Amino acid sequence: MSFAIETVGLTHYYSKGTVSQVAAIDNVNLQINKGELAGIIGHTGSGKSTLISHFNGLLKPDSGKVIVDGVDIWKDKETLKNSRFKVGLCFQYPEYQLFEETVYKDIAFGPKNMKLSENEIKERVLRAAEFTGVKAEHLNKSPFDLSGGEKRRVAIAGVMSMQPEVLIFDEPAAGLDPRGRADLINLIKNYRNQTGSTVIIVSHSMEDIAEMADRVIVMNKSSVAMQGSVDEVYSKGDELRSMGLNVPEITEIFAKLRSKGIDVPANVYTVEQGAEILRNLMERRSEE
Amino acid sequence: MIRDITIGQYYPGKSVLHNLDPRIKLIATFWLIVVIFLCKSFFSLGLITLTAVAAAALSKVPPKMILKSLKPIVIILVFTAILNIFYTQGGETYFEWWKITITEKGINTAIFTMVRIVTLVVISSLLTYTTTPTMLTDALERILSPLKVFKIKVHTLAMMMTLALRFIPTLIEEIDRIMNAQKARGADLETGSIFQRTKALVPIFIPLMVSSFRRAYELAFAMTCRCYTGGEGRTRMKQMKIAARDIVAIVVCTAVTAGVIVLNIFFDAVI
Repeated sequence: MSFAIETVGLTHYYSKGTVSQVAAIDNVNLQINKGELAGIIGHTGSGKSTLISHFNGLLKPDSGKVIVDGVDIWKDKETLKNSRFKVGLCFQYPEYQLFEETVYKDIAFGPKNMKLSENEIKERVLRAAEFTGVKAEHLNKSPFDLSGGEKRRVAIAGVMSMQPEVLIFDEPAAGLDPRGRADLINLIKNYRNQTGSTVIIVSHSMEDIAEMADRVIVMNKSSVAMQGSVDEVYSKGDELRSMGLNVPEITEIFAKLRSKGIDVPANVYTVEQGAEILRNLMERRSEE
Repeated sequence: MIRDITIGQYYPGKSVLHNLDPRIKLIATFWLIVVIFLCKSFFSLGLITLTAVAAAALSKVPPKMILKSLKPIVIILVFTAILNIFYTQGGETYFEWWKITITEKGINTAIFTMVRIVTLVVISSLLTYTTTPTMLTDALERILSPLKVFKIKVHTLAMMMTLALRFIPTLIEEIDRIMNAQKARGADLETGSIFQRTKALVPIFIPLMVSSFRRAYELAFAMTCRCYTGGEGRTRMKQMKIAARDIVAIVVCTAVTAGVIVLNIFFDAVI
């Protein structure tokens, strides 16, 4: 079975050929399995965004290969073009890419570029709008009349409507309030569960990744430093800290509780998980 | 790609040229450019070219950087040279075939014009290599301040220029980002007829306009918050003062001008 995305010795330099040449990503060998929800985490400047810009061929590797569904995307022009539709990339603050007169037209931009039939486009737009919770009455409005959170949903729908096999989100929750963030995380989870597509989340928020990802990939200094399940990666707090990352706040609180002799598990990474454990603990104590 | 465009090519340094008063530098540059066009003979042109080379050496900007500034004008150079060779006739004929005749005068004019353009570009790029855009607009504001008499808002114009320059890199970054986002949605920017390609720019320029307006509002708001009310009563942290070296610069410019005029009188004119 081929991987959804595989990179082989992927290397990309910035300011190539000048004195300030630096490797943005250096010899990255990575496999993303089909149907998984992978989280890529790393501090600012660790090469996360450069890495994902290679997945749909926006950046050309200086050496190495990007293999999508078993095919090298740089094989020929046609393959490259198709990789844009196979791998949907939703950038940070995607709402700034809206441009059409109506929400409907903006969501339809991607499918239109795929040269699909009018009916197929309509079906995809409505489906994507439903997934992202864009209200039907908004479809004929100008996207610029919507609120910030609604704009972001429209922009995400614009990428989803291409029905890519792999959907990548770069900092999807950036700049959202807690409610917006929770909604968005649910949206992504639902999308994955209902379509079974591969999803990659890029973030520097340990909490967001812990809540969504099946597998975590840690980027540090232009290459992959660690990968594994959330438990495996998040249990290495010291290593994460040395890479400018940190375990989630809730994990730290639980570590402090443990050091005070309270019997709580160490592998608590989300607030929901933590709240549940504390509630149980309190109930147990009141019974005693 | 689009990120490689460099505008505002300041080369940091501490040379005499860097330290000259920007007002003097601006005036001297325009002065020398006028003098370039006063040159009539190879000798007077030689003098000003020599001045330019000496200034370049003084600036300590690497020759490679200065040559780089000549790169965009190579086509213009070749074009003017060809036009001059074929359309200026006179003197000894070197080559004749069908309708093409190459004469002494043609070749001389071609060389003269090429050297003239190169000198012009070297002198003007030295100004931008040794002066930051902010210093330049500051200097321009000072030089143009007498225009206040005619109710021209010199300070506002200068501030607009400073802000425009400041936002060029930001906008380039923004275009890059929007282009990537639309390409990720399958936008095709590279192929098709001119009409199709122009149409393909709509998804780039609308978001760019929207975010530019947003930025402008935010900036205006931030400036108001810091009590910006325009040029009146505004003082400067860095005062511009004319030093001895500035006077030397003016003297050199005067000497070069005088030299050019004298050499023009004593030697044959090329054009």
